[in-house]
Amino acid sequence: MAETFEPKIVAFVCNWCTYAGADLAGTSRTKYETNVRIIRFPCTGRIDFMLLIKAFQNGADGIIVSGCHPNDCHYTSGNFHARRRWMVFKSLLDFMGFPSDRITFSWVSAAEGKKWAELVNETTDSIRSKGPFTDYRTLDYTLLTQLENEGIAD
Amino acid sequence: MELKLISSSDIAVFVDGLLKAGKVVVAPVLKQSGKVFFKPVQSFAEVATDYIQTAFSAKEVVFPKVEELFTYQHNEEGGLDIKDHLDRIPETVVWGLRPCDAAGFDYLNKFFLQENPDAYFKARYDKTTLVTMSCNKCDASCFCTSVDSHPGDTKGSDILLTAMDDKFYVEVMTEKGNILINSNSALFTSTDTLSKEAFLAKPLTHFSMDEIKDKIQNAYASVEWKQASMGCFSCGACAFACPTCTCFDIQDEGTQDHGKRVRCWDACGLSQFTKHSSGHNPRNTQTERRRQRLMHKFKYSVENLGVVSCVGCGRCIRVCPSHLNIFENIQSVTK
Amino acid sequence: MKELQIKAAELLENGTVNLLIGFCEDLGKRLVPCFIETAAEANILVFNQECKNNLSVYLHKKEVKDAVKIGLVANVATLRSVLQLLSENQLWSLTLTYLTVNGAGELVVLRSAEELEAYVQANFPTCRPEDQEMLDKLNAMSREERWAFWKDQLSECVKCYACRAVCPMCYCTVCTTECNQPQWIKTSAQTSGNFEYHTMRAMHLAGRCINCGECGRICPAGIPVHLLTAQMNQEMEQEFGGKTGWSLKGGYAMNTFKPGDKENFIK
Repeated sequence: MAETFEPKIVAFVCNWCTYAGADLAGTSRTKYETNVRIIRFPCTGRIDFMLLIKAFQNGADGIIVSGCHPNDCHYTSGNFHARRRWMVFKSLLDFMGFPSDRITFSWVSAAEGKKWAELVNETTDSIRSKGPFTDYRTLDYTLLTQLENEGIAD
Repeated sequence: MELKLISSSDIAVFVDGLLKAGKVVVAPVLKQSGKVFFKPVQSFAEVATDYIQTAFSAKEVVFPKVEELFTYQHNEEGGLDIKDHLDRIPETVVWGLRPCDAAGFDYLNKFFLQENPDAYFKARYDKTTLVTMSCNKCDASCFCTSVDSHPGDTKGSDILLTAMDDKFYVEVMTEKGNILINSNSALFTSTDTLSKEAFLAKPLTHFSMDEIKDKIQNAYASVEWKQASMGCFSCGACAFACPTCTCFDIQDEGTQDHGKRVRCWDACGLSQFTKHSSGHNPRNTQTERRRQRLMHKFKYSVENLGVVSCVGCGRCIRVCPSHLNIFENIQSVTK
Repeated sequence: MKELQIKAAELLENGTVNLLIGFCEDLGKRLVPCFIETAAEANILVFNQECKNNLSVYLHKKEVKDAVKIGLVANVATLRSVLQLLSENQLWSLTLTYLTVNGAGELVVLRSAEELEAYVQANFPTCRPEDQEMLDKLNAMSREERWAFWKDQLSECVKCYACRAVCPMCYCTVCTTECNQPQWIKTSAQTSGNFEYHTMRAMHLAGRCINCGECGRICPAGIPVHLLTAQMNQEMEQEFGGKTGWSLKGGYAMNTFKPGDKENFIK
């Protein structure tokens, strides 16, 4: 590919830890890649797995999901529920052959501005080398388009 | 109508010739699950021959399960570019339909091409030639002879083939059929009328439409509808497998900047089908929904379009997880 | 068979049961669900290894629930479904009597939830060999091969929702698929939408599905959707312990947690 591909990364983060951590990275003037779009949730326990799929549907090439460390959840146990949900969801994606390595799960606390910046940089590099997630967006073929793509129709 | 013969061994040559000429050939293909589906093929070798009926009908060729009606895109001048691809529909041959399927296309024609013809259906149908095979075997789900058809019926077909030992009897019914035959006319010889009887399956006849047309007038109030629908748990399998079910939904997908409008299959059996935005649902129970399905096929289609919209293919019975039986139900509500 | 018919007639006659759900043969010799309300009809009942439908799905139907006292002719997978449903506090308005045939071919009548639990635990089914074979085969494939497999399979899906309709665990009165504000799942059968639907369903069934396999068996398009939940169940049993459809107390793996849950995939 001649032009450099810039991945779109969507980050689902919890308000109390990771969002604050990202804020800290900002106030500390830490530079990091600009490919990320942050979506703020009250807690990682609120993140529905369907939202991740929807993000990919709508053009995301990679996803970051991040929240408070275990035992530090503002709502006591939201991140424990999230952890279990992510484990099950990741297993399912792996079984379906979906590239679950396009999703990065992490714990980033409000004090870890540096960790946030590193996380975004690493994820962006990794997704950039994987390329755009066309595999998923080209799933939709009607009978006609399929025929066209198979070179049968003109 | 033209009558021709072609040897069984030349059939493969004919079909491969159509493919080489750039036509899309959609034919029954055996999948790993053991079921047979209509799919585009690359050679005659892929075509399944030893089966009674495909799982789904071939209506997808003219009425796809998902159809992109148009795409829209805001342009630099601030206007909207709207594109459809009605002019890019390929020449298609549907090979290996059954007479019931062809009768299904006949109904689809009547339904979609009324005073304001459906442009999308028409564009596909005009480019499609239907080649049907008579049935030499059937199973307990087949009941075409109860709905004004039979295993050697030519209704709806462009060409009807009947296997007769080492050759096929070819009934060319329409101009489209003629054009197809003439693409390799050397393979065909003319013949007089031959009798197909000995080579056709003999499905059981459960009733005649003449009797049903009268009896069904009072069927709406029958108490049998509840029992007829007890086994139904409102999926859409019967409607989607059916060659004549035409209900569809239209959805817009996209953003303010660009997107598309799609048409997709819908089913009156699904519980939300008639739900109003107020929350009221006039067909709130399965009893009412099943009654609607059967009354539509056996009464309302007859009144509106002059033809029963059930073709007796039996797919609904086969795909239904509880094997709800449409002809048994019709008999019980018209008793 | 005769024993079953006699017992069914008895239960209907003496009022233990107002409606009996079982199997009978239709005119085409297919085994189909039947719903009988009088003792006289009991002689149509049939039950053998070929009776695969999970009849517990009908227990959610209004026309069935209205009868309150219900008899259910069931194989052990169906009984396991009922146990799971009872552990989820469903079916509380119903008085259920179960008729089944054990490994030795004897008729067994279960009249209470406790008897049901004991029977299911004593006869707990294992994963069907053909399903295990498919799971092993899929797990041995590379990620790209699995993606190609499921992409191929899911492009055939027509979104008839038969898999959802036959599943006793799918009893939500408003399903995610029916939500259109926002439109979570596309209504049309585009492959991406099909993928979303089946992923959503597998997640909502993870830790609840009892592996009757009906969803995959009845799929009109021949897609082995039951493998998705079968795989999830095996992984969840391994990770979190506990079996679905095992006990009245239940316990849903997805709404609990343990401090030691796996997190080696989290940075």
